[in-house]
Amino acid sequence: MTPQRLLLFSAARQLFALNLQEVCEVMEPQQCYPFAGAPPHYLGLINFHGNLTALVDLAGFLGLKSRPLPGKLLVIDTKLAHLALKVDAVGSILDAASITGAGSHDDPLTEALLETPQGSVRLLRLEALLGGLEQELRDSAPNTAKPGGT
Amino acid sequence: MSQYKALFLSESREYLRSIAEQVVALEQSPGERTAVDALFRGAHSLKGMAASMEYGDVVVVAHGMEDLMARVRDGALPFDAGVADLLLEGVDLIDVLLQDVEQERPSTLPTGDYAQRLATYTPSAQEAAPVEKGEPQEAGAPPSPAAELPPLPAAEAEKGKEPAGEAGGTVRVRTELLDHLINLTGELVTNKQRLLNIGRELASPPLNDAVSETAKLLRALHDEVMKVRLMPFEAISDRFQRSVRSVAKKSGKEIHFELTGREIGLDRGMLEQLVDPLNHILRNAVDHGIEESGERERAGKPARGTVRLAVTRDRDRIQIMVRDDGRGMEPRAMIEAAIAKGLLSPEEGELLSPEQALMLSCIPGFSTAKQVTDISGRGVGMDAVNTAIQKLGGTLSIDSEPGAGTTVTLRLPLTIAIIHALVVQVGQVKAAIPVNAVQRTVELSRGQIETMGKRQMFQLDGEPIPLLSLNRVMGLPLGRFPDGILPLFVTQARGRRVGVVVDHLLGQHELFVKQLGRPLDKMAGVAGGATLGDGEIVAILDLAGLL
Repeated sequence: MTPQRLLLFSAARQLFALNLQEVCEVMEPQQCYPFAGAPPHYLGLINFHGNLTALVDLAGFLGLKSRPLPGKLLVIDTKLAHLALKVDAVGSILDAASITGAGSHDDPLTEALLETPQGSVRLLRLEALLGGLEQELRDSAPNTAKPGGT
Repeated sequence: MSQYKALFLSESREYLRSIAEQVVALEQSPGERTAVDALFRGAHSLKGMAASMEYGDVVVVAHGMEDLMARVRDGALPFDAGVADLLLEGVDLIDVLLQDVEQERPSTLPTGDYAQRLATYTPSAQEAAPVEKGEPQEAGAPPSPAAELPPLPAAEAEKGKEPAGEAGGTVRVRTELLDHLINLTGELVTNKQRLLNIGRELASPPLNDAVSETAKLLRALHDEVMKVRLMPFEAISDRFQRSVRSVAKKSGKEIHFELTGREIGLDRGMLEQLVDPLNHILRNAVDHGIEESGERERAGKPARGTVRLAVTRDRDRIQIMVRDDGRGMEPRAMIEAAIAKGLLSPEEGELLSPEQALMLSCIPGFSTAKQVTDISGRGVGMDAVNTAIQKLGGTLSIDSEPGAGTTVTLRLPLTIAIIHALVVQVGQVKAAIPVNAVQRTVELSRGQIETMGKRQMFQLDGEPIPLLSLNRVMGLPLGRFPDGILPLFVTQARGRRVGVVVDHLLGQHELFVKQLGRPLDKMAGVAGGATLGDGEIVAILDLAGLL
């Protein structure tokens, strides 16, 4: 079921949407501190009102070509995750009533492909996105069999 | 949830915990009149509270327990294993019913014929029922004579007391409020570091004095806030008594369980995370450490084995010891088992001290092999136990004497919220290592490095220590060290000491630990994060998960 209100944004020249209730803040890019051991689309950690929050380049995670723009940060509701997504730009808030059509998409992270006055929008499934990020981290656990050496 | 329901749940659980503790204590010392009375009163109070809230199922179960205890109190029934089983079954039943109340769902657990079995219980009826394999009680045998038991420690004499409720001078506080206080205090500690940095840059004596005074006040505030979060160890201890009882019954062993230090306060968050590791250690002690009665008697020991759980506090450290008087562990057998399993080369085995050999039981993969467990008599889940203790910022050590028993000692910080950590630089990344995982730091010249096979080692106190690169482990470019000096810290990994080379040792910091939420909490080798005084964020490494 399509949420009542969606937040539209763009990444890698594509339009995406998230359920507005899943996003708690849109921020300008801020100081980010790198940490090792995670896949390259993890840009680092930011301090969001005292919560240490992972910053992920959404385009990179989706296997799309990331744009080297300052972009915006979408901070996910802290009750759901400590995660911010770096996107290219944030657009309007879309009311469900203005959606003219909906179709399926073969990407499991996409809940639906929505037809809107702004064009085709991929409505992201946040739980699947979080699950995918977690699975990646489990898979990238350090290889303890590596021999020592300096 | 209404405030009344929250209060009911909280108090009911305290009563349940107290009842379970007293049941197990009474089994070991059936003559304790005060405990019999307290058990009766506990069931009665529970029934009254449930009745006032109109939770009928809880009333039925508690009422049956109360009646059974009334028969014991009046001398109509001996307090035997059958009574204990029924009361503990009642505790479990009510616990499930309370979960239903908490979740605001209808009761999912039928109380069945429990009330009937309580009402009609007689010792002979219990004997006719199927007895668990290895049940030490013989048909018609009287309860285990208390005369065989060593005298109970002073803390045990308090068993008869009622659970502490809201008394004069105390209040119940929501745990979220305490967590918020801790969080604010942690932020203040971080900000203090920022002020110290600014003070150094400005070189202003009055500012430095003011910051120094603020730092002292913050330390005092932190200590006080942490005390508020402390809960007595007895908040979790009933589970251990029941766990030991259950394993002893299943394995047909006679066990005397002693618990001391139940009044020692530990951080609430720490207590919750200690339950599983301590259960593992205690189960191992009973299941693998303590011998069968016959074997003990042949070895000149009392037929009944003793397992002791002792909690002590020394300033800001907590020590928990689990000691058994069982068969103990043989270091040589441990080494041979690890070699057979391919976890250790024979050459490496030769280098291990007896203490290091005992720690082999904490290597992942060591404990899973049945034949290894049989040889060592230990090991089930010890890798998980060690990891859990290290995550809490603690250490685990094992001491054992073949034939005389084993002692597992946990040393833990009083709090897990603020830690002292060594901050290191690896590539472009800074990371923090809790200082209790760091045995020492070393600056090594290249000439001190020896190559043994594929490994690079150095000598420390006459012991060859293998070298690891933290950069390599974390997938970062290796350091260059143009001055020929390699900074490293020495830690314990997989049962032996290793030197972990980093690019720079940046010094020790007082850090407020923040948990990482989804998705980073799934990342192996990271225990949390913290903000340094200049606002920089660092990951706190969990070396046990990383190395």
